[in-house]
This record gives sequence, structure tokens and C-alpha cells, in this order.
Amino acid sequence: MSAIRKILIANRGEIAVRIIRAARELGIQAVAVFSEADRDALFVRYADQAVCIGPPPAAESYLFYQNILAAAKSTGVDAIHPGYGFLAENASFAEACRAINVTFIGPTPQAIRKMGDKATAKRLMKEAGVPTVPGSEGVLDSLSAARTLAGEIGYPVVIKATAGGGGRGMRIVAGEKELENAFNSAVSEARQAFGDAGVYLEKFIENPKHIEIQVLGDKHGQAVHLFERDCSIQRRYQKLLEEAPSPVLDDDTRAAMGRIAVAAALAVRYDSAGTIEFIYDGNSNQFYFIEMNTRIQVEHPVTEMITGVDLVKAQILVATGEKLPLVQADVRKAGHAIECRINAEDPQKGFLPQTGTLRQYIVPGGPGVRVDAGVYPGCVIPPYYDSLLAKLVVWGETRKDAIARMKRALSEFIIEGVATTIPFHQKIIQHPEFHRGTYTTDFIRKITAAEGGGSC
Amino acid sequence: MLNRLFVQCPQCQTTHFISFFKSAHYVCSRCGHHSRLDPPRWIKQLCDRGTFHSLFANLKSLDPLGFPQYREKLEAAVRTASGWEAVVTGHAEIGGVKAALAIMDPGFIMASMGSVVGEKIARLLEYAAGHRLPVVMVICSGGARMQEGILSLMQMAKTAAAVRLLHGKRQPLITVLTDPTTGGVTASFAMLGDVSIAETGALIGFAGPRVIQQTIGQKLPPGFQTAEFLLEKGMLDIVVPRRNLRATLVTVLKIHQNRPYPVSWSGDE
Repeated sequence: MSAIRKILIANRGEIAVRIIRAARELGIQAVAVFSEADRDALFVRYADQAVCIGPPPAAESYLFYQNILAAAKSTGVDAIHPGYGFLAENASFAEACRAINVTFIGPTPQAIRKMGDKATAKRLMKEAGVPTVPGSEGVLDSLSAARTLAGEIGYPVVIKATAGGGGRGMRIVAGEKELENAFNSAVSEARQAFGDAGVYLEKFIENPKHIEIQVLGDKHGQAVHLFERDCSIQRRYQKLLEEAPSPVLDDDTRAAMGRIAVAAALAVRYDSAGTIEFIYDGNSNQFYFIEMNTRIQVEHPVTEMITGVDLVKAQILVATGEKLPLVQADVRKAGHAIECRINAEDPQKGFLPQTGTLRQYIVPGGPGVRVDAGVYPGCVIPPYYDSLLAKLVVWGETRKDAIARMKRALSEFIIEGVATTIPFHQKIIQHPEFHRGTYTTDFIRKITAAEGGGSC
Repeated sequence: MLNRLFVQCPQCQTTHFISFFKSAHYVCSRCGHHSRLDPPRWIKQLCDRGTFHSLFANLKSLDPLGFPQYREKLEAAVRTASGWEAVVTGHAEIGGVKAALAIMDPGFIMASMGSVVGEKIARLLEYAAGHRLPVVMVICSGGARMQEGILSLMQMAKTAAAVRLLHGKRQPLITVLTDPTTGGVTASFAMLGDVSIAETGALIGFAGPRVIQQTIGQKLPPGFQTAEFLLEKGMLDIVVPRRNLRATLVTVLKIHQNRPYPVSWSGDE
């Protein structure tokens, strides 16, 4: 495979800007594709070339791969970077890129397909010796099978859609009485939402931490891990704040998780940047595989801050067939990093997404502060896409330093024109449980309930 | 057309990459047009993996009337289609329920019904009656095969009688009407289903709209002969998009068997 000279970014917003930056530092030209709503967006300005690919709704632009492939051909790019979301984890899209002789910057279609189907992924991981949550082997086809299995592994259990994600099509069942209703509604919701009625059942781990391991593989059968990120601060399965390293993992567990994540990646011949997600039960010090994200992730900068590895650049380089720039022993971590997702959402109104014009936009700076954003003063936030405006990332020598720095940086961040999650992050960063680091995935629900902010 | 890397929707001309098209069940993501499928693709869509076994596959059409160019047409169809005739018959499991199955092949002389199609349908119904199996038929047809003249028309009575035999054994006929279901097939076994399911947007009728318009000299109502129109008039029980078809069949089959069925009962979305 030859070197990449020109790359098309099949995405928008901050991640498109992030990829353009990596491309530029590698001496690669960047082509942006944009919808009519993003004509004046920052990533369009930054790109060397930009092609309009359709009307504002994502289905007619950022998901309408036909126009993206046509733009790739007409601009003569060598590769397509899908970013995250949209077509990033679509095996068919990766195949289509290949069919028109354009490198897809991401894993092989086979790896995407295997990891994209939760039941297949779980089976493969089990075979590779990765601990998984006790539960059904593949799809459950009847209520009686569900009842038998739930009896064996013990309540509480959770029923999930095979094709689901982000908490959709999911039912937590506390006891046998609730099983029948939960099973039937999960099946019909799965069918309605995903066109696939397949569901599976597993043990429900109460109040876990969400800890994920960054991995990086190449086309020569090598893979390394770049430590973990603690992403337990979530609202309705959407991550709000991430940090690395996790404040609760001991070195042995960290090393074990890393080793297992690399084994997991090698099991599907993973040859790009990816993330193995685990749930971690602090009480038993046990961790279980939940899924693999076969793309660059929103929160990748915290890993970059503690390891000094530019993941997007590495992802581009391994896509051309280059060997990994480092072996496991070279991967070191230093200090502590925290990321706050600054969303155009009003925490006062149940995190309702906001649209409008950014009248004021002043970014924090100073030592150890990084802002990855897709916006600029005066730009318009359209209503069609996700609400992420910017990622505020800080680094500190210790976790305490990082928290103090985040507190300072948040106070410098001034956005007017739309409500943002900045005030909410200020609350999180000052919360004693956050300082202790023992928070779990129900942290946001607990603190909003304590405030009486009911709609969370 | 489905063997190429990129395919074009015949209705809206949108180009689709084959693997996207496959995962959308060969339905256009833009306009919702349901492409016609051959029997192997239907088997993949509907049956539990590896459970299909073919029956009566060796029956081949002759040319009883010496109809001009019929032999050539048959030979060409055998070369391009997936079987020896315009219907594939067999048995399979659908959601764990064993059923007899007939799938018509639009790639074989527009799935027209000659003696062999009629015979295979009738034998399948007899087989199902004998083995007490429910029958699922995926139907599509241009109608009776004109090259076999009156022998084709006779298949209408024969297949209808065979449905009666099945009913005598208290087994259901579940028909899935796909685009287009017309002529002598509509006028016989296609309309005898105990549960009549149709795919979204399918054209279902006896004579085509043009013929009717010219015969009665009146303008036809909008949506005439579409699955949705027929559902509204009470001619069908369920109209589903293809992605929900398998789940719907599983539900119908399990209800009939009085087995627990996971899917809430809603044919329409």
C-alpha cells in the first residue's frame, strides 16, 4: 500500500477539525465533505478542498455514502477517514471504499462486522479468553429460555437487543415476576427500532464503572494498548466527562486489562485504533468485556495527553500499511488527564439540545490545556446533528493538579448565545465523590436527583 | 443485477453499493422500492440457516403445444435462473417452526404458472397435508403461462383443490404476496391464504391497471392494486416492509402452533 497524499474526511464538527490537523502535520491534503447546514463550519474553512454532499438531514448527507464516494472519486483522494458516528462502524462502507480503490482509515470490514454484532463479539471474546458477563450464548428465542437462564445466573438480569446500543432496547429485570413483560417489550422494541427482534440476556452488574482500554494494531499482526480511560460519568449512556488513568484501578488490574485488551484485538486481527470497553465491578475487582468500538473515539485526547501518542496520526499511518511506531514497552503514561464534553445542551432543562449563534466564544488556555472544537465566535449551531461543541482537555502531574486545572479552565471558558454543559461540569468537578474517584455510572443520576432536577 | 458491486434502484435510480443493499434486505433506502428476489435470496431472508431442503426439484417443463420459441425460452430461463422451473419447493424451519415452503422465481419467465409450477405447488400442498405442516408461499407471478395454453389454466383448479386438502388437515396456508402478483396465480392459490401477507408497495391484481382502465373506460382510484389499497379494502391481512417479514412469519407460525411467541402482534408499523 502506498503513502496517502490526500484524504477525505467523511464527518463534521470537532472530529473533522481534529483529523484535518493530523493530516496537515503529516503533509497530507484534506478534503472536507459538508451538508448545506455546515457551509460555514470551521472544518470546511480549514480543509484544503470542500465538497457539498447534500441537504442538512444526515440521512441525505453524512450518511448518504453514495455522494461521499462520488466526492472521493471526483477529488482524487487516496483515503477516507470516517471519524466517529455516521459511517465509522459500517462494514459495508469500508467495503465500498475498498471497491473504489480508496483506503478506509479504520479496521477491516470483517473486524467491524464481527465486533458490530454483540452476540458474535461476545462469543469471539470468550474464545479468546476475555472475561465476559455471564449470560446467554447468542440470541434468546423464547421466554422460557430466558426464564431458565435468569434462574441459573441469578437476578438482577438485563435484556438487551443484539442490534442495539446506547441503552436502547434494554430492560433491567429485578426478579422473575418482571421477566415476561420485560422480555416481550425488549423484543418488540428491538424489532421496531432495529428491524431485528434478536435479544440476549446477561447478569446485571449494579453500579459498575465503565473503563475502556485504547488499543492500536497494524497490518503486521502487532497490537499494543495505551492504558485505560474511566468513562463512568454518563447521562443516559452518553459520556460527559472522561479521565485517564482511572482513579481506582490498581497496577495489577490495569496490566491485566491491558493484556486482555491486546488479546481481544489480536483475536479479530485488529489493524487500526480501537477501544475495548469493560465494565468494572469495584466491589469484586472484576472486569467484564462489553463491546469493542472499531473507530477513533470522542475521548481519545485523554489517552494522547498521558501517553504522548497522536492516535489519529497513528491511525492514518497504520492504514497505509506502516508498522506500529512503538512496542508495548515503549508505551508509558505520565500524569493525569481529564476531558469535559462541552455540549450545546441546557442542563437546567433536562439537557435539551440548544441551537443558535455563538455570540461570545472565548477558549481557555495556559499550561496543560487543550481544546478540540468545531466552532468559532459567530458561528451557527444547526439543529440537525449531535450537540458537541468542544472538548476541554487538561493535563496535570497528579489527578489533584488536573482537577484544579480543569476547575480553572472551566472558569475561563466563556460561551454566550447558547446554553452549554459548562456549569454542570463545574458541579461535577467540585463534587466530593468525584474527588474520591469512586464514582460509578449512576453518579449523574444521583447528583441530579439530589438537586431535584427530575428529568435526568 | 444483484451480482454486481453497485446496483441501481429501478424506481428512483439511486445507486447502492451491494453490501448496503444486502443489509437493507434489497430495499432502496431512498424510495423504499422492494427489489425482486430469487429463491436462494428468499431462503436466506426467511429460513433458519441451513434448514432448507428442496422437494420435487427434478420436474421440468415440456412443450406440449409445440408453442413457437417456448423451448428456447425455457432453456434460456434454466441457464439464468436458480432452478429448473419458476417455483422452488421444499421444507425449512422458520424461527424454529418447521414449514413447507414454495418460493416463486421472477427470473424464470416472470414466474408464470405452467404445468410444472402448478404440479409442484399441488405436490407441496399434498406433502404438507400428509406431514401436517403449515405452508408458507412467497408468491410473485405474471400469471398463467400462455405457452402452455389451457394446460396452464387447469393448474388454477388443481392448486385450489390442493389447498382444500391442506385445510382438511387443519394446517394453515400463509401467503406472502410480493411485487407483482397477477393473473391466474392471483385467481387461484395466491388468494386462498388463511393469513395473507403482502410486502409494502407490491402490485397485486388479476388484470393490469391499463387493461382495466381501457375495459371499463373509467379512471382508476390512486394506489389501485397496491398492497396498501388491498389491505384497506379487506383483501389482505398484513402489509409489512421486507425487514419485518421474517419476524411476522415467525409470529404467525408460532400463534398457529400455540407456542409462545416473542413479537407483539403488529403487522403494520
